Formats: sequence, structure tokens, C-alpha cells
Amino acid sequence: MLEIKDLKSRIGDSEILRGLSLSVKKGEVHAIMGPNGSGKSTLALVVAGHEDYEVTGGTVRYNGQDLLEMAPEERAREGIFLGFQYPVEIPGVNNAYLLKAAVNAKRKHQGLDEVDAFEFLKLARERMTVLGMDPKFLNRGVNEGFSGGEKKRNEVLQMAMLEPSLAILDETDSGLDIDALKAVAEGVNALRSPERAIILVTHYQRLLDYIEPDYVHVLSEGKIVRSGDKMLALELEERGYDWLREAATG
Amino acid sequence: MKPSSLDIDRLRDVIRQLPNDALMPSREAALAHLDEHGLPTLRDEDWKYTDLSPLVDISNRWLLAGGQPRPASNRHGAVERVLGSIDATWFVIADGTIEQWPAGNLESGAIEVSRLSDTPAPFVMTRPLGDLNAALRHDGLRIRITGQPEKPVGILLADRAGGNAGVTQSYVEIEVAPGTSAELIEYHLSDGDEDHYANSVLTIGIGDGANANHVRIQNRSIRHVQTGRTSLALGRNATLRMASYDLGGGLIRNDIDIDLSQPGADVCFDGLYLAGEGQHIDNHTRVDHRVGPSTSSQEYRGILNGKCRCVWNGKAIVHKGADGTDAQQANHNLLLSEKAEIDAKPELEIYAEDVKCSHGTTVGQLDESALFYLRSRGLDKNHAIRVLTHAFAADLVRRAPVSAVTEAITDIVEARLAELAAADFIADILS
Repeated sequence: MLEIKDLKSRIGDSEILRGLSLSVKKGEVHAIMGPNGSGKSTLALVVAGHEDYEVTGGTVRYNGQDLLEMAPEERAREGIFLGFQYPVEIPGVNNAYLLKAAVNAKRKHQGLDEVDAFEFLKLARERMTVLGMDPKFLNRGVNEGFSGGEKKRNEVLQMAMLEPSLAILDETDSGLDIDALKAVAEGVNALRSPERAIILVTHYQRLLDYIEPDYVHVLSEGKIVRSGDKMLALELEERGYDWLREAATG
Repeated sequence: MKPSSLDIDRLRDVIRQLPNDALMPSREAALAHLDEHGLPTLRDEDWKYTDLSPLVDISNRWLLAGGQPRPASNRHGAVERVLGSIDATWFVIADGTIEQWPAGNLESGAIEVSRLSDTPAPFVMTRPLGDLNAALRHDGLRIRITGQPEKPVGILLADRAGGNAGVTQSYVEIEVAPGTSAELIEYHLSDGDEDHYANSVLTIGIGDGANANHVRIQNRSIRHVQTGRTSLALGRNATLRMASYDLGGGLIRNDIDIDLSQPGADVCFDGLYLAGEGQHIDNHTRVDHRVGPSTSSQEYRGILNGKCRCVWNGKAIVHKGADGTDAQQANHNLLLSEKAEIDAKPELEIYAEDVKCSHGTTVGQLDESALFYLRSRGLDKNHAIRVLTHAFAADLVRRAPVSAVTEAITDIVEARLAELAAADFIADILS
């Protein structure tokens, strides 16, 4: 589904990704771990199409297409979803409006009719209940005045409504208390399917207790320096990241 | 005669051809004043951002062609659309002539109407362009609201602009009697694409303990020049909720003057201006707090795209003795093009004690992170820009204090924002 080969990217003058390769297939859940500044968020943003990041080398293919040639909105309509580490507050734009506009943009791209407004709201309310969100959030401005945990739940709600083929969740666990973490994990697990892939970007192992990954990768200085199964995450939890960095440079 | 000045000789001829009615003495006095003082120029502090030569040019061409009002024609579609979309008791002043005067019972005596020429007053020069208005006006409208009308009272100032360049002067006085409540609409409209200059003077008196909600809409064509003054005076414990929407126009200058000379007055007024290529929209507001306590707050917002210029000058004067005044001002601007220019100028003059005053002004571009967020959800760039500009304007549309106009304003704002956001100029900051 996603084939990243030797990807190099920078923002301004700083090189962040320095030859990263990663292959993700349908049905898989990958966890990307690594210390601060190793390039985890950059990877997520480059795949989503953020224009501040210049790709200076390598290729990214998504379902056989050249992803780097696609605008961010085309990537979204083709089924890529990025759950932001810091969701943006957009006062004045109604949450329900955005959800519906997003779903309809994708449906139009797929040649489908717009969603029925009534059915759509019903579905949104159901999914909010699962996530422990008050339906009143539908009528608020996008993330406007939301707490950290509410913003992350809102990201998962958008994901649940958009039903992406490839979901990338950037530090969705950060700043969550245990109840919120469980609710978010439940939302993500509900989406797991043989047709879908999920990439979890996380600093801590904690999220992986609730969402069990098939693969764990460790990113350091813009490259994947170690890959393994979920046991690698436990090892990292115990030993930290320093030993990997030493292993990579030594 | 300087090319930049008004052709006073021809103006005199045109005035002398007007019917020799009760308004003639004040026309002559106004003309004498205009002849002596001329029009405001860029050297006047209050007019330094707004060059009036387009209105001089249109006026002189109109005078040269005989300075006649346009012949009455069939009512235009644009006028009918406004009357059909907003439920109000409408007075229509078309091309400077009072054309529609709601007949029969004006809501069981809640509204009294008369013509200015019935009880003419001598000319007193108060503000710039008032002399030009008084010199050329054919008549005026006086509306007194003495009860509680169920519908808003609407004044539609429409100019058809067909054929040659045209000039119209409109004059309306509204009085909201003590202890009553009224909703008012002031709608400036044009149709057609000929050059036109419209100059209006509207005074609104709000009696002791009365409440007025006033919406002012300017939806003129790009070829139209408008100078409009709306002067409001509030009585003791009177309240005013007002919002101005500048949604079209070529060269527009609005003056809003609010006089608070009785204690307990409470004023809240907002403004929204949307400007695209070739437009110039100047909003000058002035609040005089003459006694305390009284409160005024204003928020103006602008969205600008392409080569255009807007001015917001908000003046609040807290006179000596107006202790306990609370005056707040805010002006926020969204610039979608590097060619757009905004001159934002708050002015607070305080001569009293125990006063709470503040002002805040911002000028910014679209939030790039919000734009990416929306695009990452599948909205294309234009849609995302439209959503963000719309959100910026939406608060002020929602706050329209006359609910009968909310839908009409929403429709115009949406259409206008779609044009602005679709314009190519936007590329220069977002590529």
C-alpha cells in the first residue's frame, strides 16, 4: 500500500529525513518510535503533503501512485488520514460542517452522491458516544476551546467518519489521561481491518498496550535504525533510546 | 476652474432649474457654503486616505450633460429582489426621488411620515458633503416611530445607473420616540454599470429609554461612488445595536457619527467590509461621549483581496465630565493579497476621569496551518480558503441586530467571498 524508499526531506536549511525506507501493507499496524527530533512528525507530515517540507530525494508510492505528485487534498480523498499531533483550532468553522465537507469531498472523488444529512449526523453521534464525546461538540468551532484530550478524540472522530485506507496517528496518545487513551485506542481498534493500514507515531510504549502493532520501527536522525515486533517497544521502554543511537553510529 | 474641483457655475444653473419650492432657500445657502469651502481634500486629516476626485469627475460630467435626474423607468429587478427577500415596511428612494411610500395604515399608527419640504429647516452645515447634499436634494423623508412596529422599517436607497453618469442626493430623518423600540434597515443599492455618485445623509434620533436596532447594507456596483453619513443621537438610557455591511461598491466613504449626550446610553456597533480588485472602502466612525456613564463598543472586520484599499478610522472622544465612560474599539483585517492595503487607525481622545477605554487592531493573512488542516481533510485549496474567510466574517453576520436581514446578508456575503476567494490574486501569498 505504502512504499517509501530512501526518502530525504528538509524544512528550511535543516535536513530531517535522511534516507528513510518503509513498507506498509494492507491490514498492518506499524508503530514508529524514536526520540524527540528524530523525524517522526516530519515523516507523518510529508506523507500527508505538508508544503513546508521539501522532499530532496527518494520516492513514496501509495497504491501504485506517485504520492509526492499529489496535493494534500488528493491524498486525503485517496484514503490517507493524518491525525495531527497538534490539531489546529479554527474558530467559526463548525465541527459538523467540516466532518460533512470532508466526507463529501471523498465521496465525490469516488463518484458517490453526497451523504444524507440526517443519516450522517446520526452516525456521527453514535461514533462520538463510543469515543466518550458529548454530541454538543458537533456544533462547536473546530477544536475551538477544546482541551488536549478533546482535540485528540476529535481527530479520532474525523478518522472514524472518513474511514481511511491508511491512517497515520501522530502522537495521538500524548497528553491523554488513561480513560481518554482507552477511548482513543478503542476508536482505532474499531477501524482495524484487513483492508486498512495504520501507522502509529508515538514516543512512549504506553499506547501499544492498547493497540497492538504488527511492527515496531525506531527512527533516529531521520532513518529507521531498527525494526522488530512489539517486543522491540518493550525493550525500548526498558532501555531508552540511547543504546540504539550508539549502535547506529558505532 | 481647477480640473479637480466641482463646476460650481453649472451646479448653480442646475439648482436654479429645480422647482422653486420650500427647500429653495436652504439649497441656495448650501450652495454658497459649498462655493466658499469646497469639498474635502487629501489635506484634510479626516480625508487623507480617500481621494474624492472620482466623485468630482462624475459630478462634472453629469452637470455638463444638464444635471437632470434620470427619467422614471420601470422598476429594476435589483430593487424588487431586495423588497422580496427582506420583510419590512419599505420606503424606496430611487435615483434621489421618493418613489415608494407605504400607503394606508402604517402599522396602526406606529409610524408617521412626512416630507422634508412640508416643514423645511434652514441650512446648517454640520459635516463635509452635507452642503452638496442640501444644495442638490429634491426632497427628504421624515419618519417618526411612535409605537412598536412589528416589521422593521427599511429605507432603500437605489440608483439605477443607466445611460449617462448620474448623481443623487438622499436625505432621511428617523426619530424613534421615547420608550419605543424599532428595527431599522438602511440599504444602499445600485444596479447597472454606468458611473454614478450617490451622497446620502441619514439622521436617527433615539429617544429616552428607546431601543433601536439598525442594519446598514451597502451593495453597490464597482462603478459607483458613494459618500454616506449616518448620524445617530441617543437619549437617556437609550440603546443602539447597529451593524454595517460593505459588500460592494467602487469608491465608498461611510461616516458613522454617534452622539451620546445623555447618561445611560449604550451603543454596540459592528462593521464588515469585503473588498476586491479596484475597490476603495473607507469607514470613519466617531463616538462622542459627552456625559457619563455611557458605553460604546465597536468591532469592524475586513477581508481584502487584490489591489484594493480599505480604511478604518475609529474615533472615540470622551469629553470633559463624561466620567464613567466605557469605550471599546476593535478592528481586524484579513489580507489575502500583497497588493491589498489597509489603513487602520484607532483614535481615543480622553478628557474625563474614571474612564475605561481600549482599542485593538490586527492585520493578518490566512492561517497556513489551518489551511493545511482543512486540505488534509480533503477540502481543495479554494474551498479551504473560502471556509476560512467565511469563518472570519461569520461572527459579524450572525450578530446582525435585525433578524429579517440575516439571510439576505448571508447570501450576499457567501457569494462575495466565493468571488474573492476564487480570485487569482490569492496565488501571490499562497503559492
